[in-house]
Amino acid sequence: MNKKTISLVLGLMCVVLSFGIAVQIKTINGTGTTISTNTRENELRDAVLKAKEKYDNLYKKLEDMETQLETERTNSTQNNDELTKLENTIKGGNKILGLSEVKGNGIVITVDDNQNIALSSWYADPNWLIVHDIDIINIVNELKNVDAEAISINGQRIVSTSAIECDGNVIKVNGQKIGAPFVIKAIGYPELLMGLDRFGGYLDYLRDERFLNVDIEKVDKEDIIIPKYTGVMKFEYAESK
Amino acid sequence: MIYIAIIIGCIIGALIGINAPVIPYTYSTFLAIAVVAALDSVFGGITSVLKKNFDLVIFISGFFCNSLLSIALTYLGQKLNLDIYLAALVVFVGRMFTNLTIIRRYYIEKWTVKLEEKRKSMGQ
Repeated sequence: MNKKTISLVLGLMCVVLSFGIAVQIKTINGTGTTISTNTRENELRDAVLKAKEKYDNLYKKLEDMETQLETERTNSTQNNDELTKLENTIKGGNKILGLSEVKGNGIVITVDDNQNIALSSWYADPNWLIVHDIDIINIVNELKNVDAEAISINGQRIVSTSAIECDGNVIKVNGQKIGAPFVIKAIGYPELLMGLDRFGGYLDYLRDERFLNVDIEKVDKEDIIIPKYTGVMKFEYAESK
Repeated sequence: MIYIAIIIGCIIGALIGINAPVIPYTYSTFLAIAVVAALDSVFGGITSVLKKNFDLVIFISGFFCNSLLSIALTYLGQKLNLDIYLAALVVFVGRMFTNLTIIRRYYIEKWTVKLEEKRKSMGQ
């Protein structure tokens, strides 16, 4: 047995070994917890992971299909004026409904709970220091007042069927749970949208009287991207007249 | 030479592992036990090289048999709701310590002999 072969075999073994360690570390990191010896718990966790993976795969497939549909549509309507017009109508409608991703100028508002004041030195209601659903609703209302064309909260697009509701210590938007800090993106005329920061406005109230961390930023390089609404809009009872 | 090969192997393996996909969580226990078996094999390999009785067939078959048995035990343990893989773990880690002792003794002895020779030559 010469030394070359031995070191080759041991080296290969080490490749396997550190490969296993790296994959294991990645897996554990992805789960976010240490190894549990409880089999039942592992099974449940695995079921959740599998469901998530399946959902992600299906969602990816859906997106692929949608892009395919898009290309097919443009291909088939390319040489026909009337169809191109219809296609543009559909695109415009989707933009208004919130079913397509949009980008443009606007503002980004970040609202976060107050974490600087210790509750032991705070004698008023601690709820005062937390962002509530009503605060988000008021901000969204103000944004709509100044003609924001597209609004998203933590990546959830606000559409005609969106609800903003309290769900314990988180807020539900479009049925999805989101938590602080809340990043509200709005597309519109930036100077007009910056009016939200006016003295006596709701953001001013949140900042000065509720002591929340409020940050407002004007973006005028057309790089606010607001994702599309990913849910399903059902119209079963309303009929067009 | 052997240690250089081991280090290079570790680096290559880590690089492959970082880019590899994640395995399902249920199988992570099996992978962990296989990793420990591989670690044990590497230690055993180094020891046998130092003892000059390294045998390729024994080394590789030992690695596969050990990992397969420990994975089977882990599976059985999951079915019986008893952590049998702990037994395999104790054996592997225990053997790793024994092998480490042998490796350590070998190098310390070598070092002492060298030191002794140096002292003798200095004395002359």
